[in-house]
Amino acid sequence: MARTVQKKQGWIGWLFFSDMWSGLRLTLRYMFSKTVTHQYPDHEKWLPYSRHRGHHFIKTNEQGDVNCVGCELCAKICPCDCITVVPYEDEKGNRRPKVFDINLSRCLYCGLCEDACPADAIKLGQEYEVASTNTGALVVHLEDLIAAPRKAEEGAGTVIPASLKKNGSAKTTPQDNVKGHDWWQLIRREK
Amino acid sequence: MENLYAILPILIKVAVVVAVLLLLPLPLVWLERKIAGHIQQRPGPMRVGWHGLLQPVADGIKLLIKEDHIPSDADRFLFKIAPVVALVPPFVVFVAIPFGEPVEVFGTQLMLSLSNMNVGLLFILAISGIGIFGIILAGWASNSKYSVLGSLRAIAQMISYEIPMAFSVIGVVMLSNSMNMMDIVSAQKNLWNVVYQPIGFFVFFVSGLAEAQRIPFDLPEAEGDLGAGYHTEYSGIRFSLFMLSEYLVVVFLGFLNVILFFGGWHGAPPFVPETVWLLLKVAFFIWVFMWFRFTFPRYRYDQLMAIGWKVLLPLALLNILISGLFMF
Repeated sequence: MARTVQKKQGWIGWLFFSDMWSGLRLTLRYMFSKTVTHQYPDHEKWLPYSRHRGHHFIKTNEQGDVNCVGCELCAKICPCDCITVVPYEDEKGNRRPKVFDINLSRCLYCGLCEDACPADAIKLGQEYEVASTNTGALVVHLEDLIAAPRKAEEGAGTVIPASLKKNGSAKTTPQDNVKGHDWWQLIRREK
Repeated sequence: MENLYAILPILIKVAVVVAVLLLLPLPLVWLERKIAGHIQQRPGPMRVGWHGLLQPVADGIKLLIKEDHIPSDADRFLFKIAPVVALVPPFVVFVAIPFGEPVEVFGTQLMLSLSNMNVGLLFILAISGIGIFGIILAGWASNSKYSVLGSLRAIAQMISYEIPMAFSVIGVVMLSNSMNMMDIVSAQKNLWNVVYQPIGFFVFFVSGLAEAQRIPFDLPEAEGDLGAGYHTEYSGIRFSLFMLSEYLVVVFLGFLNVILFFGGWHGAPPFVPETVWLLLKVAFFIWVFMWFRFTFPRYRYDQLMAIGWKVLLPLALLNILISGLFMF
Protein backbone atom coordinates (compact mmCIF):
# COMPACT_ATOMS: atom_id res chain seq x y z
CA MET A 1 0.00 0.00 0.00
CA ALA A 2 2.84 2.30 0.76
CA ARG A 3 4.47 1.72 -2.59
CA THR A 4 3.58 4.11 -5.35
CA VAL A 5 3.59 2.97 -8.91
CA GLN A 6 4.90 5.41 -11.47
CA LYS A 7 2.03 5.72 -13.89
CA LYS A 8 2.09 7.45 -17.20
CA GLN A 9 -0.21 10.40 -17.03
CA GLY A 10 -1.49 11.73 -20.28
CA TRP A 11 -3.08 15.14 -20.75
CA ILE A 12 -6.51 13.71 -19.98
CA GLY A 13 -5.19 12.51 -16.64
CA TRP A 14 -3.66 15.93 -16.07
CA LEU A 15 -6.95 17.62 -16.91
CA PHE A 16 -8.95 15.50 -14.49
CA PHE A 17 -6.35 15.50 -11.67
CA SER A 18 -5.53 11.79 -11.83
CA ASP A 19 -2.63 12.30 -9.40
CA MET A 20 -4.87 14.01 -6.85
CA TRP A 21 -7.50 11.30 -7.18
CA SER A 22 -4.95 8.58 -6.54
CA GLY A 23 -3.79 10.45 -3.43
CA LEU A 24 -7.37 10.79 -2.23
CA ARG A 25 -8.00 7.10 -2.93
CA LEU A 26 -4.98 6.17 -0.86
CA THR A 27 -5.97 8.26 2.15
CA LEU A 28 -9.55 7.01 1.90
CA ARG A 29 -8.32 3.44 2.03
CA TYR A 30 -6.20 4.26 5.05
CA MET A 31 -9.13 6.03 6.71
CA PHE A 32 -11.18 2.84 6.70
CA SER A 33 -8.35 0.43 7.42
CA LYS A 34 -7.44 -0.86 10.85
CA THR A 35 -5.30 1.33 13.05
CA VAL A 36 -1.85 0.00 13.81
CA THR A 37 -0.93 1.87 17.00
CA HIS A 38 -0.71 0.05 20.31
CA GLN A 39 -3.21 1.25 22.89
CA TYR A 40 -0.36 1.42 25.38
CA PRO A 41 -0.56 1.82 28.36
CA ASP A 42 -4.35 2.02 28.60
CA HIS A 43 -5.47 -1.19 26.96
CA GLU A 44 -2.56 -3.01 25.42
CA LYS A 45 1.03 -3.88 26.04
CA TRP A 46 3.81 -5.08 23.78
CA LEU A 47 5.55 -8.24 24.90
CA PRO A 48 9.12 -7.98 23.63
CA TYR A 49 10.95 -10.74 21.82
CA SER A 50 13.34 -12.96 23.78
CA ARG A 51 16.21 -11.11 22.14
CA HIS A 52 15.01 -7.85 23.72
CA ARG A 53 17.55 -6.20 26.00
CA GLY A 54 15.60 -4.79 28.92
CA HIS A 55 15.98 -4.68 32.69
CA HIS A 56 18.80 -7.00 33.86
CA PHE A 57 18.24 -10.15 35.92
CA ILE A 58 20.59 -12.59 37.63
CA LYS A 59 20.12 -16.32 37.27
CA THR A 60 20.16 -18.67 40.24
CA ASN A 61 21.19 -22.34 40.35
CA GLU A 62 19.32 -25.35 41.85
CA GLN A 63 20.66 -24.69 45.34
CA GLY A 64 19.19 -21.23 45.29
CA ASP A 65 22.51 -19.49 45.03
CA VAL A 66 23.17 -16.89 42.40
CA ASN A 67 25.22 -18.01 39.41
CA CYS A 68 27.38 -14.93 39.73
CA VAL A 69 30.96 -15.60 40.89
CA GLY A 70 31.79 -11.98 41.51
CA CYS A 71 34.49 -11.82 38.85
CA GLU A 72 33.60 -8.20 38.05
CA LEU A 73 34.06 -8.75 34.32
CA CYS A 74 30.68 -7.15 33.67
CA ALA A 75 31.69 -4.11 35.71
CA LYS A 76 34.95 -3.92 33.75
CA ILE A 77 33.39 -4.18 30.30
CA CYS A 78 30.48 -1.87 31.08
CA PRO A 79 30.94 1.21 28.83
CA CYS A 80 29.11 3.47 31.22
CA ASP A 81 30.42 2.15 34.52
CA CYS A 82 27.00 1.48 35.90
CA ILE A 83 27.70 -1.92 37.54
CA THR A 84 29.20 -2.15 41.01
CA VAL A 85 30.27 -5.61 42.22
CA VAL A 86 31.84 -6.37 45.62
CA PRO A 87 32.75 -10.06 45.95
CA TYR A 88 32.98 -12.08 49.17
CA GLU A 89 33.30 -15.72 50.18
CA ASP A 90 30.07 -17.30 51.33
CA GLU A 91 29.71 -20.08 53.95
CA LYS A 92 30.09 -22.80 51.27
CA GLY A 93 33.44 -21.31 50.30
CA ASN A 94 32.28 -19.98 46.93
CA ARG A 95 33.06 -16.55 45.59
CA ARG A 96 29.78 -14.69 45.36
CA PRO A 97 28.78 -11.02 45.06
CA LYS A 98 28.11 -9.23 48.34
CA VAL A 99 26.98 -6.14 46.51
CA PHE A 100 25.66 -6.17 42.98
CA ASP A 101 24.25 -2.77 42.04
CA ILE A 102 23.24 -1.58 38.60
CA ASN A 103 22.49 2.07 38.04
CA LEU A 104 19.70 1.83 35.47
CA SER A 105 19.70 5.56 34.84
CA ARG A 106 23.23 5.25 33.43
CA CYS A 107 22.86 1.87 31.71
CA LEU A 108 22.54 1.94 27.92
CA TYR A 109 21.28 -1.66 27.64
CA CYS A 110 24.06 -2.71 25.26
CA GLY A 111 24.24 -6.27 26.58
CA LEU A 112 28.04 -6.39 26.88
CA CYS A 113 27.76 -7.56 30.51
CA GLU A 114 25.72 -10.50 29.27
CA ASP A 115 28.42 -11.34 26.72
CA ALA A 116 31.26 -10.96 29.19
CA CYS A 117 29.72 -13.06 31.95
CA PRO A 118 31.61 -16.39 32.27
CA ALA A 119 29.11 -17.89 34.73
CA ASP A 120 25.83 -17.44 32.79
CA ALA A 121 24.63 -15.14 35.57
CA ILE A 122 23.68 -11.67 34.35
CA LYS A 123 21.18 -11.44 31.53
CA LEU A 124 19.05 -8.73 30.04
CA GLY A 125 15.37 -9.59 30.42
CA GLN A 126 12.04 -8.49 28.97
CA GLU A 127 11.14 -5.77 31.46
CA TYR A 128 11.21 -2.34 29.84
CA GLU A 129 9.03 -0.20 32.12
CA VAL A 130 11.72 1.19 34.40
CA ALA A 131 10.52 4.79 34.53
CA SER A 132 10.53 6.34 37.98
CA THR A 133 10.11 9.73 39.61
CA ASN A 134 13.01 8.94 41.95
CA THR A 135 16.51 8.45 40.56
CA GLY A 136 17.52 6.63 43.75
CA ALA A 137 15.02 3.91 42.92
CA LEU A 138 16.83 3.36 39.63
CA VAL A 139 19.83 1.85 41.37
CA VAL A 140 18.79 -1.80 41.63
CA HIS A 141 20.36 -4.26 44.02
CA LEU A 142 21.07 -7.98 44.00
CA GLU A 143 17.67 -9.02 45.36
CA ASP A 144 15.87 -6.84 42.76
CA LEU A 145 17.95 -8.43 40.01
CA ILE A 146 17.14 -11.95 41.20
CA ALA A 147 13.43 -11.12 41.26
CA ALA A 148 13.40 -9.27 37.93
CA PRO A 149 11.45 -10.75 34.99
CA ARG A 150 13.31 -13.25 32.80
CA LYS A 151 13.65 -13.27 29.05
CA ALA A 152 10.37 -13.54 27.20
CA GLU A 153 9.37 -17.03 26.19
CA GLU A 154 5.76 -17.56 25.24
CA GLY A 155 3.88 -14.90 23.38
CA ALA A 156 7.00 -12.94 22.57
CA GLY A 157 6.44 -10.25 19.98
CA THR A 158 2.69 -9.99 20.50
CA VAL A 159 0.39 -7.31 21.81
CA ILE A 160 -1.76 -8.38 24.75
CA PRO A 161 -4.55 -6.67 26.66
CA ALA A 162 -3.18 -4.85 29.69
CA SER A 163 -3.97 -1.92 31.91
CA LEU A 164 -2.11 0.71 33.86
CA LYS A 165 -2.50 0.41 37.64
CA LYS A 166 -3.39 3.73 39.20
CA ASN A 167 -0.97 3.42 42.10
CA GLY A 168 1.71 5.73 40.82
CA SER A 169 3.98 3.11 39.34
CA ALA A 170 4.71 3.14 35.64
CA LYS A 171 4.04 -0.56 35.13
CA THR A 172 1.22 -1.99 33.08
CA THR A 173 -0.17 -5.29 34.18
CA PRO A 174 -1.13 -7.70 31.42
CA GLN A 175 -4.33 -9.67 31.68
CA ASP A 176 -3.86 -13.30 32.57
CA ASN A 177 -4.56 -16.18 30.20
CA VAL A 178 -5.10 -13.99 27.16
CA LYS A 179 -3.33 -14.68 23.92
CA GLY A 180 -1.86 -11.65 22.25
CA HIS A 181 -2.21 -10.79 18.59
CA ASP A 182 0.70 -10.52 16.21
CA TRP A 183 1.02 -6.82 15.67
CA TRP A 184 3.02 -7.17 12.45
CA GLN A 185 0.00 -8.76 10.82
CA LEU A 186 -1.64 -5.33 10.89
CA ILE A 187 1.24 -3.74 9.03
CA ARG A 188 1.99 -6.40 6.43
CA ARG A 189 -1.35 -6.42 4.76
CA GLU A 190 0.14 -6.55 1.30
CA LYS A 191 1.13 -9.88 -0.16
CA MET B 1 -47.90 43.24 21.82
CA GLU B 2 -48.59 42.09 18.28
CA ASN B 3 -45.13 43.27 17.30
CA LEU B 4 -43.77 41.06 20.04
CA TYR B 5 -45.58 38.02 18.64
CA ALA B 6 -44.18 38.81 15.23
CA ILE B 7 -40.66 39.07 16.54
CA LEU B 8 -40.76 36.06 18.86
CA PRO B 9 -40.22 33.32 16.21
CA ILE B 10 -37.24 35.24 14.85
CA LEU B 11 -35.72 35.58 18.31
CA ILE B 12 -36.14 31.86 18.94
CA LYS B 13 -34.63 31.02 15.56
CA VAL B 14 -31.68 33.32 16.19
CA ALA B 15 -31.11 31.77 19.62
CA VAL B 16 -31.22 28.24 18.22
CA VAL B 17 -28.88 29.00 15.31
CA VAL B 18 -26.36 30.84 17.49
CA ALA B 19 -26.39 28.10 20.13
CA VAL B 20 -25.89 25.36 17.55
CA LEU B 21 -23.13 27.28 15.80
CA LEU B 22 -21.34 27.97 19.07
CA LEU B 23 -21.41 24.29 20.02
CA LEU B 24 -20.68 22.94 16.55
CA PRO B 25 -16.88 23.28 16.72
CA LEU B 26 -16.76 20.74 19.55
CA PRO B 27 -17.87 17.76 17.43
CA LEU B 28 -16.00 19.16 14.44
CA VAL B 29 -12.70 19.31 16.33
CA TRP B 30 -13.25 15.74 17.45
CA LEU B 31 -14.13 14.67 13.90
CA GLU B 32 -11.12 16.41 12.42
CA ARG B 33 -8.73 14.79 14.88
CA LYS B 34 -10.34 11.39 14.36
CA ILE B 35 -10.10 11.68 10.58
CA ALA B 36 -6.51 12.83 10.86
CA GLY B 37 -5.76 9.87 13.06
CA HIS B 38 -7.42 7.25 10.92
CA ILE B 39 -5.82 8.54 7.72
CA GLN B 40 -2.49 8.07 9.49
CA GLN B 41 -3.60 4.63 10.78
CA ARG B 42 -3.81 5.69 14.40
CA PRO B 43 -7.01 5.94 16.45
CA GLY B 44 -6.83 9.65 17.29
CA PRO B 45 -8.07 10.88 20.68
CA MET B 46 -9.09 7.90 22.82
CA ARG B 47 -8.59 8.81 26.46
CA VAL B 48 -11.20 11.46 27.39
CA GLY B 49 -14.66 9.99 27.20
CA TRP B 50 -15.84 7.24 24.87
CA HIS B 51 -13.42 7.20 21.92
CA GLY B 52 -12.21 10.62 22.99
CA LEU B 53 -15.59 12.29 22.47
CA LEU B 54 -15.01 14.68 25.36
CA GLN B 55 -11.55 15.66 24.13
CA PRO B 56 -12.74 18.98 22.58
CA VAL B 57 -14.44 19.85 25.89
CA ALA B 58 -11.18 19.20 27.72
CA ASP B 59 -9.32 21.27 25.12
CA GLY B 60 -11.87 24.06 25.52
CA ILE B 61 -11.46 24.10 29.29
CA LYS B 62 -7.70 24.14 28.83
CA LEU B 63 -7.95 27.12 26.46
CA LEU B 64 -10.30 28.97 28.82
CA ILE B 65 -8.03 28.69 31.85
CA LYS B 66 -4.84 29.47 29.96
CA GLU B 67 -3.13 32.81 30.33
CA ASP B 68 -4.55 35.41 27.98
CA HIS B 69 -1.31 36.97 26.87
CA ILE B 70 -1.05 40.28 25.01
CA PRO B 71 2.37 41.17 23.61
CA SER B 72 3.78 44.36 25.13
CA ASP B 73 4.21 46.11 21.77
CA ALA B 74 0.79 45.12 20.47
CA ASP B 75 -1.98 47.58 19.75
CA ARG B 76 -4.05 46.51 22.72
CA PHE B 77 -7.43 47.74 21.53
CA LEU B 78 -7.19 46.23 18.06
CA PHE B 79 -5.61 43.08 19.46
CA LYS B 80 -8.59 42.56 21.75
CA ILE B 81 -11.23 43.42 19.20
CA ALA B 82 -9.80 41.36 16.31
CA PRO B 83 -11.06 37.89 17.39
CA VAL B 84 -14.56 39.27 17.84
CA VAL B 85 -14.46 40.98 14.46
CA ALA B 86 -13.29 37.71 12.93
CA LEU B 87 -16.12 35.86 14.62
CA VAL B 88 -19.00 38.07 13.47
CA PRO B 89 -19.10 37.41 9.67
CA PRO B 90 -19.33 33.59 9.92
CA PHE B 91 -22.35 34.05 12.19
CA VAL B 92 -23.95 36.77 10.07
CA VAL B 93 -23.68 34.64 6.94
CA PHE B 94 -26.08 32.10 8.43
CA VAL B 95 -28.82 34.75 8.40
CA ALA B 96 -29.37 34.14 4.70
CA ILE B 97 -29.02 30.37 4.63
CA PRO B 98 -32.30 28.41 4.42
CA PHE B 99 -32.53 25.10 6.25
CA GLY B 100 -35.63 23.73 4.55
CA GLU B 101 -39.07 24.46 3.13
CA PRO B 102 -41.39 26.59 5.30
CA VAL B 103 -43.21 24.47 7.90
CA GLU B 104 -46.60 24.89 9.54
CA VAL B 105 -46.32 25.55 13.28
CA PHE B 106 -49.49 26.38 15.25
CA GLY B 107 -51.24 27.35 12.06
CA THR B 108 -48.64 29.87 10.96
CA GLN B 109 -46.04 29.60 8.27
CA LEU B 110 -42.57 29.35 9.78
CA MET B 111 -39.67 30.00 7.48
CA LEU B 112 -36.71 27.74 8.22
CA SER B 113 -34.31 30.59 7.63
CA LEU B 114 -33.58 33.70 9.63
CA SER B 115 -34.27 35.95 6.70
CA ASN B 116 -35.52 35.11 3.24
CA MET B 117 -33.66 37.86 1.41
CA ASN B 118 -34.19 38.31 -2.29
CA VAL B 119 -30.46 39.03 -2.66
CA GLY B 120 -29.39 36.28 -0.29
CA LEU B 121 -26.51 35.06 -2.41
CA LEU B 122 -25.11 38.57 -2.86
CA PHE B 123 -25.42 39.14 0.90
CA ILE B 124 -23.51 35.93 1.62
CA LEU B 125 -20.70 36.79 -0.79
CA ALA B 126 -20.45 40.31 0.62
CA ILE B 127 -20.34 39.15 4.23
CA SER B 128 -17.80 36.42 3.55
CA GLY B 129 -15.73 39.14 1.88
CA ILE B 130 -15.56 41.23 5.04
CA GLY B 131 -14.54 38.16 7.01
CA ILE B 132 -11.00 39.24 6.19
CA PHE B 133 -11.19 42.26 8.51
CA GLY B 134 -10.62 40.25 11.66
CA ILE B 135 -7.53 38.70 10.09
CA ILE B 136 -6.17 42.09 8.98
CA LEU B 137 -6.68 43.52 12.48
CA ALA B 138 -5.15 40.48 14.18
CA GLY B 139 -2.10 40.49 11.94
CA TRP B 140 -1.55 44.21 12.27
CA ALA B 141 -2.25 44.55 15.98
CA SER B 142 0.03 41.68 17.02
CA ASN B 143 3.11 43.67 15.95
CA SER B 144 4.83 40.45 14.95
CA LYS B 145 6.41 39.64 11.60
CA TYR B 146 4.77 36.24 11.42
CA SER B 147 1.34 37.65 12.11
CA VAL B 148 1.59 40.48 9.63
CA LEU B 149 2.98 38.19 6.91
CA GLY B 150 0.20 35.71 7.58
CA SER B 151 -2.47 38.36 7.37
CA LEU B 152 -0.95 39.88 4.21
CA ARG B 153 -1.03 36.46 2.61
CA ALA B 154 -4.61 35.96 3.78
CA ILE B 155 -5.68 39.31 2.30
CA ALA B 156 -4.06 38.62 -1.08
CA GLN B 157 -5.52 35.14 -1.13
CA MET B 158 -9.02 36.27 -0.17
CA ILE B 159 -9.07 38.97 -2.84
CA SER B 160 -7.77 36.61 -5.50
CA TYR B 161 -10.26 33.88 -4.74
CA GLU B 162 -13.30 36.03 -4.02
CA ILE B 163 -13.44 36.88 -7.72
CA PRO B 164 -13.58 33.35 -9.21
CA MET B 165 -15.95 32.41 -6.39
CA ALA B 166 -18.37 35.19 -7.27
CA PHE B 167 -18.08 34.49 -10.99
CA SER B 168 -18.68 30.77 -10.52
CA VAL B 169 -22.04 31.32 -8.82
CA ILE B 170 -23.22 33.55 -11.68
CA GLY B 171 -23.99 30.36 -13.61
CA VAL B 172 -26.25 29.22 -10.77
CA VAL B 173 -28.00 32.59 -10.70
CA MET B 174 -28.53 32.41 -14.46
CA LEU B 175 -30.18 29.00 -14.13
CA SER B 176 -32.51 29.95 -11.30
CA ASN B 177 -33.10 33.54 -12.43
CA SER B 178 -32.86 34.63 -8.81
CA MET B 179 -30.44 35.45 -6.06
CA ASN B 180 -32.88 34.20 -3.44
CA MET B 181 -31.55 31.06 -1.78
CA MET B 182 -35.01 29.46 -1.64
CA ASP B 183 -35.49 30.03 -5.38
CA ILE B 184 -32.03 28.63 -6.09
CA VAL B 185 -32.90 25.47 -4.20
CA SER B 186 -36.33 25.07 -5.77
CA ALA B 187 -34.81 25.53 -9.24
CA GLN B 188 -32.86 22.31 -8.58
CA LYS B 189 -35.95 20.25 -7.86
CA ASN B 190 -35.47 17.95 -10.86
CA LEU B 191 -31.76 17.99 -11.43
CA TRP B 192 -29.00 19.32 -9.23
CA ASN B 193 -26.94 22.22 -10.48
CA VAL B 194 -23.75 20.21 -10.31
CA VAL B 195 -24.94 18.34 -13.42
CA TYR B 196 -25.53 21.56 -15.37
CA GLN B 197 -22.52 23.38 -13.93
CA PRO B 198 -19.63 20.96 -13.35
CA ILE B 199 -17.05 23.65 -14.13
CA GLY B 200 -18.86 26.14 -11.91
CA PHE B 201 -18.93 23.64 -9.07
CA PHE B 202 -15.24 22.89 -9.50
CA VAL B 203 -14.30 26.59 -9.42
CA PHE B 204 -16.59 27.25 -6.47
CA PHE B 205 -15.28 24.28 -4.51
CA VAL B 206 -11.61 25.12 -5.02
CA SER B 207 -12.00 28.82 -4.34
CA GLY B 208 -14.13 27.92 -1.33
CA LEU B 209 -11.24 25.86 0.04
CA ALA B 210 -9.02 28.90 -0.49
CA GLU B 211 -11.56 31.20 1.18
CA ALA B 212 -11.64 28.97 4.23
CA GLN B 213 -7.85 28.89 4.18
CA ARG B 214 -7.76 25.15 4.32
CA ILE B 215 -5.14 22.86 2.91
CA PRO B 216 -4.00 22.92 0.11
CA PHE B 217 -4.50 26.69 0.35
CA ASP B 218 -3.65 27.33 3.99
CA LEU B 219 -0.70 29.63 3.32
CA PRO B 220 -1.88 32.32 5.77
CA GLU B 221 -1.17 29.94 8.62
CA ALA B 222 1.60 27.87 7.09
CA GLU B 223 3.11 26.58 10.30
CA GLY B 224 6.39 25.71 8.62
CA ASP B 225 7.27 29.24 7.60
CA LEU B 226 4.99 31.53 9.62
CA GLY B 227 4.61 30.07 13.08
CA ALA B 228 0.82 30.03 13.03
CA GLY B 229 0.09 32.96 10.72
CA TYR B 230 -2.12 35.80 11.89
CA HIS B 231 -2.95 34.17 15.24
CA THR B 232 0.66 33.46 16.22
CA GLU B 233 0.51 35.85 19.17
CA TYR B 234 -2.93 34.82 20.37
CA SER B 235 -3.49 32.47 23.26
CA GLY B 236 -6.27 31.20 25.44
CA ILE B 237 -9.83 32.29 24.78
CA ARG B 238 -8.94 34.75 22.01
CA PHE B 239 -7.19 32.00 20.07
CA SER B 240 -10.20 29.73 20.51
CA LEU B 241 -12.42 32.46 19.02
CA PHE B 242 -10.28 32.35 15.87
CA MET B 243 -10.57 28.57 15.80
CA LEU B 244 -14.34 28.89 16.21
CA SER B 245 -14.61 31.26 13.26
CA GLU B 246 -12.44 28.98 11.11
CA TYR B 247 -14.68 25.99 11.80
CA LEU B 248 -17.80 28.07 11.15
CA VAL B 249 -16.42 29.11 7.76
CA VAL B 250 -16.00 25.43 6.93
CA VAL B 251 -19.60 24.69 7.94
CA PHE B 252 -20.87 27.66 5.97
CA LEU B 253 -18.94 26.53 2.89
CA GLY B 254 -20.49 23.10 3.23
CA PHE B 255 -23.92 24.74 3.27
CA LEU B 256 -23.14 26.91 0.25
CA ASN B 257 -21.84 23.95 -1.76
CA VAL B 258 -24.94 21.93 -1.00
CA ILE B 259 -27.46 24.72 -1.55
CA LEU B 260 -25.92 26.10 -4.72
CA PHE B 261 -24.83 22.91 -6.46
CA PHE B 262 -26.20 19.83 -4.70
CA GLY B 263 -29.89 20.56 -4.65
CA GLY B 264 -30.23 21.78 -1.08
CA TRP B 265 -32.79 19.54 0.61
CA HIS B 266 -34.07 17.97 -2.62
CA GLY B 267 -33.59 14.32 -3.45
CA ALA B 268 -34.09 13.03 0.07
CA PRO B 269 -34.66 9.29 0.38
CA PRO B 270 -38.09 8.38 1.80
CA PHE B 271 -38.72 8.91 5.55
CA VAL B 272 -35.77 11.30 5.84
CA PRO B 273 -36.86 14.85 6.74
CA GLU B 274 -35.68 17.52 4.32
CA THR B 275 -33.67 19.42 6.90
CA VAL B 276 -31.92 16.26 8.07
CA TRP B 277 -31.08 15.41 4.47
CA LEU B 278 -29.63 18.89 3.97
CA LEU B 279 -27.53 18.55 7.11
CA LEU B 280 -26.32 15.11 6.02
CA LYS B 281 -25.14 16.56 2.74
CA VAL B 282 -23.39 19.39 4.59
CA ALA B 283 -21.75 16.86 6.90
CA PHE B 284 -20.52 14.99 3.85
CA PHE B 285 -18.91 18.15 2.51
CA ILE B 286 -17.29 18.92 5.85
CA TRP B 287 -15.89 15.39 5.82
CA VAL B 288 -14.56 15.94 2.31
CA PHE B 289 -12.85 19.16 3.42
CA MET B 290 -11.15 17.29 6.26
CA TRP B 291 -10.22 14.40 3.97
CA PHE B 292 -8.57 16.90 1.61
CA ARG B 293 -6.77 18.50 4.49
CA PHE B 294 -4.96 15.34 5.46
CA THR B 295 -4.26 14.25 1.90
CA PHE B 296 -2.66 17.19 0.15
CA PRO B 297 0.44 19.23 0.83
CA ARG B 298 0.36 23.01 0.67
CA TYR B 299 0.72 24.96 -2.57
CA ARG B 300 3.60 27.34 -3.06
CA TYR B 301 2.62 31.01 -2.94
CA ASP B 302 3.15 31.70 -6.65
CA GLN B 303 1.22 28.53 -7.48
CA LEU B 304 -1.63 29.74 -5.30
CA MET B 305 -1.80 33.04 -7.17
CA ALA B 306 -1.41 31.34 -10.55
CA ILE B 307 -4.28 28.95 -9.79
CA GLY B 308 -6.52 31.80 -8.71
CA TRP B 309 -5.91 34.20 -11.57
CA LYS B 310 -4.77 32.02 -14.49
CA VAL B 311 -6.90 28.91 -14.01
CA LEU B 312 -9.98 29.52 -11.89
CA LEU B 313 -10.93 32.97 -13.21
CA PRO B 314 -10.82 31.94 -16.92
CA LEU B 315 -12.67 28.74 -16.02
CA ALA B 316 -15.36 30.74 -14.25
CA LEU B 317 -15.72 33.05 -17.26
CA LEU B 318 -15.86 30.02 -19.55
CA ASN B 319 -18.59 28.60 -17.34
CA ILE B 320 -20.65 31.77 -17.71
CA LEU B 321 -20.11 31.71 -21.48
CA ILE B 322 -21.17 28.08 -21.81
CA SER B 323 -24.25 28.49 -19.61
CA GLY B 324 -25.19 31.60 -21.58
CA LEU B 325 -24.87 29.74 -24.88
CA PHE B 326 -27.00 26.85 -23.62
CA MET B 327 -29.68 29.17 -22.29
CA PHE B 328 -29.68 31.14 -25.52
